Amino acid sequence: MAAREQGSLRTHSPWPMIGWGTAAGIIIVAGVLGFGFLDRYQQGGPTLSLWNAICHGLGITADTGPASEPQPPLQTPTRIAWTGATLTQISNGNAQHGAFVAANCTACHGDQGKSQSALYPTLAGMDAAVIYKQLDDFRSSHRSWGAMNAIGQALSLQDSADVAAYFATQRGGLPTLTGNRVPEPGRSLRESDPAKRLIFAGDPERGIPPCSACHGPGGYKLGAPALQGQQPNYIDEQLIAFAQGMRQNDIFEQMRIIARGLTPDEMHAVAVFYGVRAGEPRAGGLALR
Amino acid sequence: MQNSSRLALYHLWVAFALFLPAIALGAWQMLMRSPLPAPFDDTNAYYTSVTLHGTVMAYAVTTFFAMGFGYAVTATSLGRPLRGVVPAWIGFAICLIGTVMAAVIVLLGRATVLYTFYPPLIASPWYYFGALLLIGGSMIWVVLMIYNMSTWKRDNPGQPVPLAMFAITATAILWAWAASGTIIELLFILIPQALGITTQIDVGLGRTLFSVTLHSIVYFWLMPAYIAFYTLAPQAAGGRLYSDTAGRLTFIMLLVFSVPVGLHHMFADPEIGAGFKFLQSFLTFFVALPTLLTVFSICASMEIGGRARGGRGLFGWLWALPWQEPMVLAVAFSLVMLGLGGFGGFINMSYAMNNMIHNTAWVTAHFHLIWGGATVIMYFAIAYEMWPRITGKPLRSKALARWQLWLWFAGMLIVTIPWHITGVMGQPRRVAAFDYNDPFVAPMGPLVIISVIGGLILLVSAILLITILVRSQLSERRLSEPLRYALAVNPPRTVPPSLNGFALWNAILLVLMVFAYGYPIGQFLFLKSTVPPYEVTPQAVSAEIK
Repeated sequence: MAAREQGSLRTHSPWPMIGWGTAAGIIIVAGVLGFGFLDRYQQGGPTLSLWNAICHGLGITADTGPASEPQPPLQTPTRIAWTGATLTQISNGNAQHGAFVAANCTACHGDQGKSQSALYPTLAGMDAAVIYKQLDDFRSSHRSWGAMNAIGQALSLQDSADVAAYFATQRGGLPTLTGNRVPEPGRSLRESDPAKRLIFAGDPERGIPPCSACHGPGGYKLGAPALQGQQPNYIDEQLIAFAQGMRQNDIFEQMRIIARGLTPDEMHAVAVFYGVRAGEPRAGGLALR
Repeated sequence: MQNSSRLALYHLWVAFALFLPAIALGAWQMLMRSPLPAPFDDTNAYYTSVTLHGTVMAYAVTTFFAMGFGYAVTATSLGRPLRGVVPAWIGFAICLIGTVMAAVIVLLGRATVLYTFYPPLIASPWYYFGALLLIGGSMIWVVLMIYNMSTWKRDNPGQPVPLAMFAITATAILWAWAASGTIIELLFILIPQALGITTQIDVGLGRTLFSVTLHSIVYFWLMPAYIAFYTLAPQAAGGRLYSDTAGRLTFIMLLVFSVPVGLHHMFADPEIGAGFKFLQSFLTFFVALPTLLTVFSICASMEIGGRARGGRGLFGWLWALPWQEPMVLAVAFSLVMLGLGGFGGFINMSYAMNNMIHNTAWVTAHFHLIWGGATVIMYFAIAYEMWPRITGKPLRSKALARWQLWLWFAGMLIVTIPWHITGVMGQPRRVAAFDYNDPFVAPMGPLVIISVIGGLILLVSAILLITILVRSQLSERRLSEPLRYALAVNPPRTVPPSLNGFALWNAILLVLMVFAYGYPIGQFLFLKSTVPPYEVTPQAVSAEIK
């Protein structure tokens, strides 16, 4: 008896019909509304044809796909884009050949790239991608500084990758940046030292992000150099050059925007804060890892 | 102690042991965001803390709790020992190793990815391996739930599977569906990238795959609470379950409707067409159906209980309910928070309204009410119900447990109501520090301070929870009545096969997934219609130079 009841239930169970019917209904209603209606009638926009509305609903719009008209040449701040090929070339740089090329740099940038002069930046330990980009910017005159433009033009791309690899592997200069860091107190907007506050928390009211987010410590951004241990005078000068628009090779203008928002005193304070030699202790200052 | 009891106890203990420090982190995060001085004020520490709080709460606590609860339900509802105890312990060990691995890497500051799997944020590969182990270990549990249910069905042909077992199996199947997106993303996008095997990353594909997991995982967290609503709460209230079929339909609808809806988290993402965003927004509305059905059934079951205890009149049954029972109290709190959070959720998932509150504190408020409120308070109630049965020792004490639940309820409302308001004011979520001197931000200050107070209340409540569980565990062994599940008003003698298994519903879900996600995912693979791949290098290029 029970078995027969169960058998009859099995054949007449309404649930498969209900389930499939509901699912189909929902898909049809949502599809018609989403692709046929919602995309067709846009407030303040033209009414699309059904075909265009469906394409719009799929995410295919007129600006998807290759541009059909020739584009005017772009005013770019640099020729370098961080494509896989560029990064591969940089990381395959031959440090041994780079050491040979670097013999030309010693006169200004110091032995092994450790600058002894306030005029020239320390290159030892600087990220290879940074050196590679700056050399190309000098080569293409997107950045101008005396002898460097001629030197950039004299070096091939492979030479710059090699010399970048050489300097990047030199120790005792700038620290290697990573995004990893162990937290420390006093690195928020509540910090009273204005330079430390700028470096670790920025100034949201003026739209200034923290320097450390890209330049370390505790932050890393491809193409941004480590600043700890850099010549303070050099940092100061570059900030002024960005603020005055003399230096324009920062992608997206981020350094020009930030530097314009800083007072000369702040630029100096940040430069001094960062400019301490890596490894040297500093009272109340930057703890180095 | 039965082996399945020990299994359940270990899982639940891991869940609650992880829960307490994560609450402390949450309270500190509120302090950090507020105008008040916070100890250890490093903005980066905030992001590390958010990552750990989220990873532990969203992935570890929930998974361990659901697994432990699942083992307990299997043994008690089927009335026979759990099959596959050895693989279950292996799964436990794998999950534990994965959790510890992920937590250590986050603490080392090498995975500040805000507990998301959203590229281009990339963590250390060890974090992703940890997550993969946690998810992989829980898949052993999924298989065991399905295996136990199907062997029981084979041994008891024609018999309806007990509702609790049916529901926990639905939870397991849902988790398998939900996890699929993140597993694929981990294996084919994130881990190769984190290991440096690939240099390019398809952000759109990664985010879309993660969205498969994003919303359904919430229902994986929620379903143990719903199981308690249907099978434990009516019993604790001294009544009967209003309808067994309503229960089965609820869990079936939760399974079918909670996966093909994840794109409603991506309304601001440019890679997905408006049509699919609408389609999934529309589908999301149907998730409300099982919830409304549940609210109705549970209120009806409670009324049955209240009237059986002598309650009269339109609302008289309410006062007649046994409010001294933590389970009954928790159900009331849970439904209130579910209601408030649910209405907030309607705004999140509405294609047009979402823009008002996208990525603001409103969203955080919503899921803290739903998960941190409605769900977790039921986890507490389940623990209070299960502990005496698992350990054989009485709960010490019910009065303390009621205090704990009241504090949690009050604390969660004090935390989340200000968040809703600041969210509408435009306060972004996941931001470490605000400049309260800014005239736009200044009015949010007092509200954030109120939520700090709520956070501290929640911390006190969590400490109380652990105190109660430890005290009970250390007390003397005494006989306690066995765990009994609520009987329905009309207990089912036979049920149609469609309501006694999941084959039909998995097939429907598969079709819905193909419609909802087929093109949004497929477009990245075949049409290459995505934005250009985003370059991500997690460390200095120099580090790769040999």
